Amino acid sequence: MNWFDKFCNDFTLNFIEGDRWKWILEGLGNTIIITIFALIIGVLLGIIIAAVRSTYDKNGADMKKRGGPAYVFLKIGNTLCNLYLTVVRGTPSVVQLLIMYFIILVNVTNGVFVAIIAFGLNSAAYVAEIFRGGIMSIDEGQFEAGRSLGFNYLQTMFHIILPQAIKVILPSLFNEFITLIKETAVAGYVGVMDLTKAGDKIRGRTFSAFMPLIAVALIYLGIVVLLTQLLKQLEKRLRKSER
Amino acid sequence: MEEALIKVRNLKKHYNGGKVKALDGIDIDIHQGEVVVVVGPSGSGKSTFLRSLNLLEQPTEGEIIFDGEDINAKDADINKHRQKMGMVFQHFNLFPHKTVLGNITLAPIQLKKIPKPEAEAQAMKLLNMVHLEDKATNYPSQLSGGQKQRIAIARALAMEPTVMLFDEPTSALDPEMVGEVLDIMKDLAKSGMTMVVVTHEMGFAKEVGTRVIFIDHGQIKEENTPKEFFNNPKDPRLQDFLSKVLI
Repeated sequence: MNWFDKFCNDFTLNFIEGDRWKWILEGLGNTIIITIFALIIGVLLGIIIAAVRSTYDKNGADMKKRGGPAYVFLKIGNTLCNLYLTVVRGTPSVVQLLIMYFIILVNVTNGVFVAIIAFGLNSAAYVAEIFRGGIMSIDEGQFEAGRSLGFNYLQTMFHIILPQAIKVILPSLFNEFITLIKETAVAGYVGVMDLTKAGDKIRGRTFSAFMPLIAVALIYLGIVVLLTQLLKQLEKRLRKSER
Repeated sequence: MEEALIKVRNLKKHYNGGKVKALDGIDIDIHQGEVVVVVGPSGSGKSTFLRSLNLLEQPTEGEIIFDGEDINAKDADINKHRQKMGMVFQHFNLFPHKTVLGNITLAPIQLKKIPKPEAEAQAMKLLNMVHLEDKATNYPSQLSGGQKQRIAIARALAMEPTVMLFDEPTSALDPEMVGEVLDIMKDLAKSGMTMVVVTHEMGFAKEVGTRVIFIDHGQIKEENTPKEFFNNPKDPRLQDFLSKVLI
């Protein structure tokens, strides 16, 4: 038997027999669903965290002078956000996933849902720092110029800082998306059949490791390469608009 | 004499719980139409003083009475007051994502709710004044330093301020571009604008200033007419300072 026939046999055994290619498809679907919804949660929550933290950094002194409950809330919010960032970034995402599944959401049986929540909360910490980094990367002089014209803090943010910061934020955010796809590969720990788990399941059935695992790797690689190309296009366009 | 436009009383800015005194009790009245030039060695507090006038620098204590209101009071609406105090920065701080026209019209359109065509017409007049009408659709990155600073002046003027604050407006410019910016500032002074200018350009202080102030260690050590200030300085630190700067 030459190598080509062996390859064909292997392929048939792993993917065609028992319609096992459907597992791969189902796994890929779950991986994509978890990634996209986790990212949505991550971006929404991340923006809120970043807003609290940058407002505290940039406008805290102003609000302190004015006094009142707004500053107290901001200060408490900032402390909570910092705590959140420390915990999320200081523990492995697998552990967070397990805690979410077996402790916090112990009554929820839908593993995909639990994975979305766990990865979303995890991603929020990183997205928050991406947004905050983007805002902080804009020269302080821009902020002062806005304030000196009479814009308040929020107006300065929306008219002057964010339109510039978004050029720094978008590529990093896209990168976080790419990272997240690979991170979800541990979803199998909570019984979700994602792409990785699907490949492993096939390996368990066929006792042939090479074909399913390499196939899974190639699918991840294909998605990542495709998205990276898109990211490059995006960066190119952003650079162009910089003039 | 009529009521001063800006009255500064006992203005202090301390850092590290009072260990560093950037401003150590400044008192000054600035009247309508005056061109007050502030000079002093680096680190003397002159920029801090200027930036305190519109609270870009939050003073530790003191009063800044502008338009009859203490703008350093807790309940003062600083954003409203800042609209009346134009500011020009050493590093221009133009908005890179907006055209020249966009830079000038942003605040009038957003804050004064002036219709866009009207704001743009007004902006063109200001561009005419700074001799840069042909740059209206350019982006800041396409301009020279001197041009950027002239646009920054036009942007500040677009809010029709009653006083203009200049924070070392020519310090970041190539030498051959200093003149064009100073010329605009001279025109502005002639038109009767009240100006407070922190600068190292002693020629400007002499020619355009109505009063020159010497700040050292956070205090006003001397203030006088330009003629007296330069010809007959009394404070020994000022004498020393003037002997070291080229005039």
